[in-house]
Amino acid sequence: MRLLEVDGVRYRHAAAAPEAIAGASLAVAGGEVVGLIGPNAAGKSTLARLCCGLLAAQQGSVSLRGARVDKLSRRERARRVAFLPQHPPHDLSFTAREVALMGRAPHLGLWSLEGPNDLTRATAALAEVDALDLADRPVSQLSGGERQRVFLARAFAQEASLLVLDEPTAALDLAHQVLLVSALRRRAREGGGALLVLHDLALAGAACDRVVLLHRGRVVAEGAPAEVLRSAILSPVYGTEVEVVANPATGQPLVAPRIQR
Amino acid sequence: MNRSAAARAALAVAVLVPVVVLAAAVGLSTGAGALSLRDALRGQEPDATVLFRLRLPRVLLAAEVGAALSVAGVALQALLRNPLADPFVFGLSGGAAIGTAIVTVASGSAVGVAATYGAAFLGLLPAQLAAMAGAMAAALLVFTLGRARGQLEPSRALLVGVVFNSFASALVLSVEAVLRPDQMQAVSLWLAGTLGYEAMPLLAGAGVALLAPALVLIALAGRLNLLALGDEGAAALGVDVGRTRLLAFFAASAAVGIAVAFTGLVGFVGLIVPHAVRLLTGPDHRVVLPASALGGAAFLVLADALARVLFRGLGAEPPVGAVTAIVGAPLFVLLMRSRR
Repeated sequence: MRLLEVDGVRYRHAAAAPEAIAGASLAVAGGEVVGLIGPNAAGKSTLARLCCGLLAAQQGSVSLRGARVDKLSRRERARRVAFLPQHPPHDLSFTAREVALMGRAPHLGLWSLEGPNDLTRATAALAEVDALDLADRPVSQLSGGERQRVFLARAFAQEASLLVLDEPTAALDLAHQVLLVSALRRRAREGGGALLVLHDLALAGAACDRVVLLHRGRVVAEGAPAEVLRSAILSPVYGTEVEVVANPATGQPLVAPRIQR
Repeated sequence: MNRSAAARAALAVAVLVPVVVLAAAVGLSTGAGALSLRDALRGQEPDATVLFRLRLPRVLLAAEVGAALSVAGVALQALLRNPLADPFVFGLSGGAAIGTAIVTVASGSAVGVAATYGAAFLGLLPAQLAAMAGAMAAALLVFTLGRARGQLEPSRALLVGVVFNSFASALVLSVEAVLRPDQMQAVSLWLAGTLGYEAMPLLAGAGVALLAPALVLIALAGRLNLLALGDEGAAALGVDVGRTRLLAFFAASAAVGIAVAFTGLVGFVGLIVPHAVRLLTGPDHRVVLPASALGGAAFLVLADALARVLFRGLGAEPPVGAVTAIVGAPLFVLLMRSRR
């Protein structure tokens, strides 16, 4: 069964505003890491929010594991999809461990008290993103990349089958980007799935099974990285000359804009 | 600190219960005259009356009001994502003041008579009923005007509350112009926050009534934590943000309304107690809420004892609200500056 199925979704932020999403469809199956790419204001973050039920589609439908997202209870929805926003809050006085434990919220009872099992899972999630040594530090004192890893741990601790991550690597150094991708691949092997909003097209080419290119609220290309990440497709959408070469070591597409100096 | 929230809450309660007991002992042994505990327990007069009719109700009242204001402060600070919010910030003080002022003016008229009967039914004074009604009316008004897209919008509600409080104080000033000097003194004492002597059954009733909002807030504590992630972050974790805010707002308002009915406007308790508690326990509301209830109870009992001791020689005592502010303001600055 598909973890996520988006079918003909349309969305406007306000009645008078232009359509942010103008009839988009995509799917994420178990075992898949899918990249959502596109230029600024293409609608990537809006579409990510629609996938998590944080925004309600005005037309079309979004389903999580076969159930319409608007028919699910909030808690059940949070057990099916975990969301990492592009800008996690930075002024929290909670510690990294407490933030990771917040990911357990959809699994807790009336008084929201976590048990030993929840503590174990939060600790494991922190370890997965190399944030265990930050566990007892307040999030407000962490660097941008450290904070990003803590919020990734929170999303992992949620144990939803689908992860929707908005720019998960933006603040991460190379080693931690590699670590994150291998964690996502490991989850995919166990049947999980991920939808990643990415600006780094080389990373999209290396990390994803499929890439979805969004432009002005529409899906304009979709397929394996080598099919979508092509100069003839990317250049008109991004509005600049884009060159793609194969990585000599891996064969994966390497994408770079041509910059005149 | 790899302990579960339940364990940390239990630890905080275990530490604070003896503090409350100690504060109560201080409160019970402080007063105008010497008191023999042994005589009082044996039923010997006047010691028995002083202990059971005067000091015990007074300590109980202070504990209940201190706990209510602190818990409400925690909840409203979580709603506003601002640790400097005060329980009265949403217009509740203004509403309570208007209620009291109107009933004081109207004491002879039909409104006053109706209030007298209504209050007598609940075992309260007319001014107390009016204060509670005024506070709750203000909460409703702020809630109605502070909504956007069907949801309580904390920043909007805050603005409405602040504006309403100014409006209310102007109204009360105008009303005071027509009051007799003795009425005026009663109103201004009440505005400053004064602990009186209430009957035990009424205090028991208030305690039970306060339990409801306290339990609602403690059940919401986990969700109040998630609100710190922002509305979207909380919603993504399964929180019904609108309903959580609504419940927290009205539970806190109810607690403040009950407190205000008995003591008027006791400032600083709801600000300084949660702040001090957070310094010790961290920001987790599942720990902060029960700890603030106990801390608030101890704080107001001690402040009241201090008010009685300080002015013993003069045969008078300042309103407890003045003491909480005089002690609270410098303490607050001190705590704030020691934070790093």
